[in-house]
Amino acid sequence: MIGFMKKDLAMIKSNFKLIGILLVVYAVMGLLGEIDISFILPFISVMIMISSFSYDNYNKWDAYSISLPNGRKNSVKSKYLTTILMVFITAIVTTILSFIISYVNTKPIDYEQILVSMFGIVFGTLLVFTFMYPIVYKFGVEKARIGIFLIVFGLVIIGGFLAQYINLSFLANTLSFLEDYIIIILVIIMIAMVYISYKVSAKIFSKKEY
Amino acid sequence: MENILEIKNLCKKYDNFELKNITFNLPKGMIMGFIGENGAGKTTTIKAILDIIKSYDGEIKILGLDNRKDERKIKENIGVVLDDMFFPEILTPNDINNAMRSIYKNWDTKMFNDYLKEFSLLPNQQIKKFSKGMRKKLEIATALSHHPKLLILDEPTSGLDPVARAEVIQIFQSFIEKDDCSILLSSHITTDLEHIADYITFINNGEIVLSKTTNELLEQYAIVKCTEKEFKKINKKDYIKYLKAKYEYEVLIANKKDFKSKYDITVIDKITLDDLMVLMIKGEE
Repeated sequence: MIGFMKKDLAMIKSNFKLIGILLVVYAVMGLLGEIDISFILPFISVMIMISSFSYDNYNKWDAYSISLPNGRKNSVKSKYLTTILMVFITAIVTTILSFIISYVNTKPIDYEQILVSMFGIVFGTLLVFTFMYPIVYKFGVEKARIGIFLIVFGLVIIGGFLAQYINLSFLANTLSFLEDYIIIILVIIMIAMVYISYKVSAKIFSKKEY
Repeated sequence: MENILEIKNLCKKYDNFELKNITFNLPKGMIMGFIGENGAGKTTTIKAILDIIKSYDGEIKILGLDNRKDERKIKENIGVVLDDMFFPEILTPNDINNAMRSIYKNWDTKMFNDYLKEFSLLPNQQIKKFSKGMRKKLEIATALSHHPKLLILDEPTSGLDPVARAEVIQIFQSFIEKDDCSILLSSHITTDLEHIADYITFINNGEIVLSKTTNELLEQYAIVKCTEKEFKKINKKDYIKYLKAKYEYEVLIANKKDFKSKYDITVIDKITLDDLMVLMIKGEE
């Protein structure tokens, strides 16, 4: 499985220039106060992983990978682990950038706020991946692009709907006893969702024919 | 003789194509040429051997092991070149070496680097900058560098110029000189196969038409060239297929000696694999 991850990471490495340019552009926009820098995380990580699937698809890597030892299992596992690793690395980089931007703009650095917002964004980004990967494995990356758009769009709409029509303060009051454990609960939900998503993708890929 | 690859009654059905009871064996230490026109079922058969297609009937054994149950052990021992399927083109040979080191237990970095030198491939150049022939050579180097016992090659010489083809064929020959190593090689370039293949298996329209040693095939099979009058005298049992050309009949026979003893037709030409394919596919019964 390590070999498959090395291949995925080597692909990301060869896109370093592009990722670097994007980070600089966003950092400058963040400095000018145009955008909230933390939002680049989901954008960059989804873009990197979609392009990794596109390269695989273009060179028919998936079919070739099956001819390698434990190819069917390791191909999917390595994509998930690479994604998690990459989301965390991007999270660390964007957190550091957020601190730098606050420092340069001589704003008071709200450590807690930055960390909480970064946690929320890591959670949201992984959530997008958990929905996205089974679709990519089932329909291929090209067809799945529309699906991915619909997922992100759908999550925003559902979130907006819930916020507007459901009495969130009532919900918050009812669940206030969980407040102290909210991070742990979210981490557990995140791990469970990634695991279920991996199992679904692995099942789809185990039956896939090329 | 012990077989390294055994395929028994392999069947796979698609909407517009079907593999029908594919059965053949590849003995250890031999090279088998797998021939047939485009769409005949060569790649589908190879994909079934490698488990790239799953839902098929029949039995496939490699090194005496079931290709599905003992997948890991089998794949550690086979090297593969597939038509147009490989590592993503933004990677370099060095990236491939780095990944393969952790994928194959027996990966041999020195051997891989030696092949890169031999093929004049730069270790740090992205695959997308390689020509088609260079890509093929890289695929071959990758397939050979973990000391496999069986090579499964789908069109490995396509895109190579004659010099590079000769070079690659030479490498395949050295590969089987090692104990018990074998090759299943599908190719359109049948002249290559005539030189190196010990066995020829011919697939047409999803069915194995023949599977024989190359010597047997090239010595026993022949093309009889005759007039219409002479052709009409030939018993149907004594030929396989025929083609009516402008001035003569070309008749494919399977037993040159027997034919010579029965008929007084003097023009009996040696057969090439190309002739065989054309007559088998285009000829009438």
